[in-house]
Amino acid sequence: MDILFISKYIVLIALVIMMLAALRASAYKSTSMGLLGSSVVVTAFAVGLLVVGGQYNIQFYRDISLALIFFGFVGTIAFAVTLGGEDK
Amino acid sequence: MIEYIQSALLIIAAFLMIVSAIGLLSLSKDTKHIVYARIHIVGLFDIACIIAMIGLGQYLLAGIYFILAPFTAHAIANAYWKKEDKEINVDLMTVEEEVDENHPFIHPKAKIQALESENSEKLKVDERFSVTTIEIDEGE
Repeated sequence: MDILFISKYIVLIALVIMMLAALRASAYKSTSMGLLGSSVVVTAFAVGLLVVGGQYNIQFYRDISLALIFFGFVGTIAFAVTLGGEDK
Repeated sequence: MIEYIQSALLIIAAFLMIVSAIGLLSLSKDTKHIVYARIHIVGLFDIACIIAMIGLGQYLLAGIYFILAPFTAHAIANAYWKKEDKEINVDLMTVEEEVDENHPFIHPKAKIQALESENSEKLKVDERFSVTTIEIDEGE
């Protein structure tokens, strides 16, 4: 079996573990932890799409991944600004 | 050869992801400033993702995420500090002062303020000090 193929699947497993950990952490009482957890899940999903798209040669997965990373960032910043409120 | 380098990068990334997942879960709920600690751990995950992207040959995406990730972490920490941290930990805003009462030169701030206030007992008793005002009439 190809070593690159195995390492891609190891990354996928690690990403799933990280997603579950982030979901568990986002259940903490603070709203910021929910924001952090959702940010981690989105990033992990984007990297997972990259891995699957590279493995099975699906080109549009890369575009979806780019969109997820970029709009995930914009959403996180927007929500954080709303959560923080205005400067006094 | 490139295949081996890519595999090594992906395995390093997977290792870092698992380490950060363990770190995220192993922190106790009662730890002080736990949100900042978790944001710090997520920074490790971000770098693991960047290494994975480089290993997959997506250099531009890795560069973009390398620039964007710190902004996300800072925005979340800033929002938490401005809103929730100040509400949950009210004592954060008060600075504890540890000054020895018998120190010859350094005195506690509260003690000095009490001495300088208008209602100070010491000022009333001590008649060595008096305040006078001189009125100057510019017409003369």
